[in-house]
Amino acid sequence: MSDFLTQTVLIATVASAIRLAVPLLLASLGETFGQRSGVLNLGVDGIMLLGAFGGYFTVLRTGNVWLGLLVGVLVGLVLGVASAVMAVTLQAEQGISGIGIFLFGLGLSDLLFQRLVGTPLPISSFPKLAVPGLSDIPVLGEMLFRHSVIVYIAFLGVPLSMFIINRTTFGMNIRAVGENPEAADSLGVSVTAVRYATVSIGGTLAGVAGAALAIDLGIFQQNLTNAAGFIAVALVYFGAWRPLGVMAGALLYGFVNALVLQFKTLGIIPRSWSDIAAMAPAIITILALVLVASRFRQPAALTKPFTRGA
Amino acid sequence: MKRRRNSWVAMAAVMMLIVAACGGDGDATTTTASESAGGASAESFRIAIVAPSASNDLAFTQSIVDGVEAIRGERGNVQVAITDGTFNVDDAAAALRGYAEDGFDLVIAHGSQYGGSLQEIAPDFPDIAFAWGTAADTFGLSNVFAYEAASDEGGYVMGVMAAALSETDVVGVVGPIEVGDAKLYVDGFAAGVVAEEPATTVNINYTGSFSDVALASEAAQAHASASADVLTGTAQMVVGAVGVADELGMLWFGTQANQTSLAPEIVVASQVYRWEVILREILTNIDAGTLGGEAFVIDFDNGGLVIEYNDGYDLPADVRQKADDTIAGIIDGSITTG
Amino acid sequence: MPQTPMLEMKGIVKRFPGVLAADHVDFDVLPGEVHTLLGENGAGKSTLMNILYGLQEADEGEILLNGKPAEIHNPTDAIALGIGMIHQHFMLVDTLTVAENVALGLKSGRGALTDLDAVSARIEELAERYGLEIDPQALVWQLSVGQRQRLEIIKALYRDVHLLILDEPTAVLTPQEVDQLFVTLRQMTDDGRGLIFISHKLHEVLALSDRITVLRHGAVAGNTTSEGATRESLAEMMVGRQVKLAPDKPPVEIGPAALQIRGLTVISDRGIEAVSSLDLEVRTGEIFGIAGVSGNGQRELAQAIAGLQEAVAGSIHIDGQETTNLRPAEVRSRGLSYVSEARMREGVIGEFTVSENLLLIDHASEQFVNRGLFDFKAIRSHCEVLVGEYAVKTPTLDTPARNLSGGNIQKLIVARELAGSPKVLVVAQPTRGVDIGAAEYIHARLVDQRSENAAILMISEDLDEVFALSDRIAVMYEGQIIAVVKPGETTREEIGLMMAGVRPTDSRHG
Ligand SMILES: Nc1ncnc2c1ncn2[C@@H]1O[C@H](COP(=O)(O)OP(=O)(O)OP(=O)(O)O)[C@@H](O)[C@H]1O
Ligand SMILES: [Mg+2]
Repeated sequence: MSDFLTQTVLIATVASAIRLAVPLLLASLGETFGQRSGVLNLGVDGIMLLGAFGGYFTVLRTGNVWLGLLVGVLVGLVLGVASAVMAVTLQAEQGISGIGIFLFGLGLSDLLFQRLVGTPLPISSFPKLAVPGLSDIPVLGEMLFRHSVIVYIAFLGVPLSMFIINRTTFGMNIRAVGENPEAADSLGVSVTAVRYATVSIGGTLAGVAGAALAIDLGIFQQNLTNAAGFIAVALVYFGAWRPLGVMAGALLYGFVNALVLQFKTLGIIPRSWSDIAAMAPAIITILALVLVASRFRQPAALTKPFTRGA
Repeated sequence: MKRRRNSWVAMAAVMMLIVAACGGDGDATTTTASESAGGASAESFRIAIVAPSASNDLAFTQSIVDGVEAIRGERGNVQVAITDGTFNVDDAAAALRGYAEDGFDLVIAHGSQYGGSLQEIAPDFPDIAFAWGTAADTFGLSNVFAYEAASDEGGYVMGVMAAALSETDVVGVVGPIEVGDAKLYVDGFAAGVVAEEPATTVNINYTGSFSDVALASEAAQAHASASADVLTGTAQMVVGAVGVADELGMLWFGTQANQTSLAPEIVVASQVYRWEVILREILTNIDAGTLGGEAFVIDFDNGGLVIEYNDGYDLPADVRQKADDTIAGIIDGSITTG
Repeated sequence: MPQTPMLEMKGIVKRFPGVLAADHVDFDVLPGEVHTLLGENGAGKSTLMNILYGLQEADEGEILLNGKPAEIHNPTDAIALGIGMIHQHFMLVDTLTVAENVALGLKSGRGALTDLDAVSARIEELAERYGLEIDPQALVWQLSVGQRQRLEIIKALYRDVHLLILDEPTAVLTPQEVDQLFVTLRQMTDDGRGLIFISHKLHEVLALSDRITVLRHGAVAGNTTSEGATRESLAEMMVGRQVKLAPDKPPVEIGPAALQIRGLTVISDRGIEAVSSLDLEVRTGEIFGIAGVSGNGQRELAQAIAGLQEAVAGSIHIDGQETTNLRPAEVRSRGLSYVSEARMREGVIGEFTVSENLLLIDHASEQFVNRGLFDFKAIRSHCEVLVGEYAVKTPTLDTPARNLSGGNIQKLIVARELAGSPKVLVVAQPTRGVDIGAAEYIHARLVDQRSENAAILMISEDLDEVFALSDRIAVMYEGQIIAVVKPGETTREEIGLMMAGVRPTDSRHG
């Protein structure tokens, strides 16, 4: 107990937090795009599950993790487009249609798994990459730069998303459409096209998040995500619809989880408190969310379908 | 306004159709397997299972499915229906009631969490036999059998082997929530470790979830950073932990089903439940007209618990001998596992 | 040999539930002319223009551009055909910058990347040339109403449109800004561009228009030219009866100060000091008019009085009771009524029906609650009276407020706020966007409130209105009141200069 927060524990905790954050980060970055343009997709978890199964099954059959990731991309894209059809074209109530997609993904991923695989078999994971140079830095190197490749991919997504949202015409259109679709429309920006694009990006990243989760764990199981997709949606609010904030949220959630696990393992949290401690990440994240989110205004058109001239 | 609602209804309908066509109601899946030759005959014995995770979870649910399958092999003439994946208790209750209404001969509620529902449902169907596990309580109902595993016994044996094999003298446990079968197993394991090697540290980590694979995997990582070199764990989410053990070269002891296929290099042994041992007794009871009121336990003594070793792992002979001695001691009562 | 019109709209018909918004309308624009559409609130002006801009589809009729039939199904089509529109309600994205709002929908010089530096440079050029001062980097939510309107004009100029629709562009501008805008618009017509102008301010219409078409109930009620018309004749054409353009003000005894403000300082959303140690007093029985260019703290002043913005220093008393920094509901309960200038945002809930909006403030009041339940009968008759008195044109009381025409939404709020008998009434731009007939009615109601001894603080950029109604006129500039004068002792020109920041003492020198 005396080695509580020694270097090893600290390194292990941070590395663990980063791994736990990755699927959440990928999924919530994607959801950020959708929400910034005014579409709430609650179906993220269902898309993640199908992406997870698709990625898992591909790796199981081919042994190629990159092919698995690609299948995650494709599955996510298809479901993203399907979500867009419902939310944008059919103008379905976004909360409810999202739950529909979730249930669909949950049911279908399990069904396919039972039919096509049955007993879980392990698959290979992403290769680990020690970033040359950086990984030799004491402490930090081990914490941050000795992860599997997907970790770097996910974190590179943060500056990339920031760049797209803040610096490109597409990003400007996203922000405009999420805030005042009438104004964007009156200048010839297609609200429908922008929202299709963002919701598809969201779906794609959810698919990638699921595939990354399954491939990194090297296994698939019914409901593998265990509601990570819903946490990802919450993190978008937490992150105030900004990639950096979303990243902070994913890391916070991952960190509290990792810390609780470490403390339990070392007996710092007594076993009788175990169940209560298991709720800590959710509680802390919700508290932080309430504090942060109350300071920022959500995109004004969030969840509001757009019809010209209405 | 109107247009929006209509399209939503249409979309919901399409969604329902797809999900329904795929054979699941929401998340739970129902499958029916009948005896291979000739289909269902009029007198066939019909068993239904309602279980929380997937039938092939290599853990808790699979154990009962395997047990019932074994009975089907023995008796022939048995029809089996399974609703698995009902981690939602309300869904499970609906499935239990459905099977009872369909007149199944034995309805198995395989999950401690289903007790409350069963207590309400069973009295409505006095002619149907129910079995509830893992549990010791029949609620005093004459049509409910209870069954459980003395998983502490297997845990104890595993603990002995783990202590003997650990070079760092630190072993780790990944558990779900500290209740029922998991608690029995983990407590037995810890007792076994300490009995064999009092100086060995047992780090026990209940993640708080039966289903969070990622968290179980990180719990295994945490054990590794606390220098454990042997791990065990119970419940279906441990598949994540087994993967980490494999990757980091830690040894693994499985329970509830043979987990060798998950990591053929590092799984030492698995405690396996042979529920058919007590199912046989339950069926005999039902044939004799007794529909419940009794509680059963599988253990080493009645052959309901067995240790299955991984042939691919080169277990030192002395450790194997220790395990066999311990099992003998448990059976003859010279060793207590609590 | 007549010129080919650049635009011809023929036989346009548009039906909404319960309303015929365009009834076989013919309308055309020649190159280089200003053709004005005039009509009461709800006459169908915006609808006709929305059809032209592709925001709504006509049920019948055709559109010709330069003699050729044009298919306009969406704004993209309209923009491609060189049509621009400045909407009655701002079409701006609050969370984007000025430059981003301008660049929206345009091709960027840097491909997929935004090219805001180039856009900003061009905005500054245009701003300079047309005297439309604006900071390209400012976020729109930080802009005053007047600045927003300037931005809308810049958006159109930036797109170099051939035919520009201006749906009440002057409603929010000061006289100087209007003059400036007209110079800009003249420059545009000189280039051969056609303009469609919509306004309720008849002197502007007469000053700017070449031709005038009057709509009534969706149909063309008449055509005229500026030369052949007077304000009175136009008003009569619109309303169908004679209209009194200035209200009669009976003498009222001025009482004690009902609204007292001492040393008030308010920080705006932009973080700048919008109101700086301001003092003022409004007495019962008087209308205290505040003239000023928008963005000089009028909005913050009104909001601070209403409890919608924090007073960082100073005090506010209503009827002798301190109300500084009380919550809006508490301020209301102490006798304040407030008509905000940002009516679309702060005044109505678009999804709510007309009657629900009328009740927003009153709903707790005794007269409509019977043993804890709403007395729907009383509510209905109350709403019917208000809608009737203020001539709010709505198909039913259950129509969502957002379906009303701009001016009718205006009337709805004014009706609600003037319904009670407030001790202090703060009204911002009471008749902005309201037609002549309704303005006449609103002015009469304000005068009635004055006769009933309310203290009225009226913020207006319409100098005609300020002169016609005020007992005292204050000019607000950069957060302070720089002069208080009596209407009989000053001129429009003098007030206009003070609005531009020329203090009365300086004016003698310069
Ligand atoms: N989307 C809509 N749905 C239903 N009715 C509408 C809709 N848009 C406008 N109307 C109705 O059509 C009529 C014409 O409205 P329009 O906005 O064209 O008037 P306007 O002449 O521009 O008036 P104002 O001067 O007040 O702006 C009004 O009665 C209005 O209530
Ligand atoms: Mg209008």
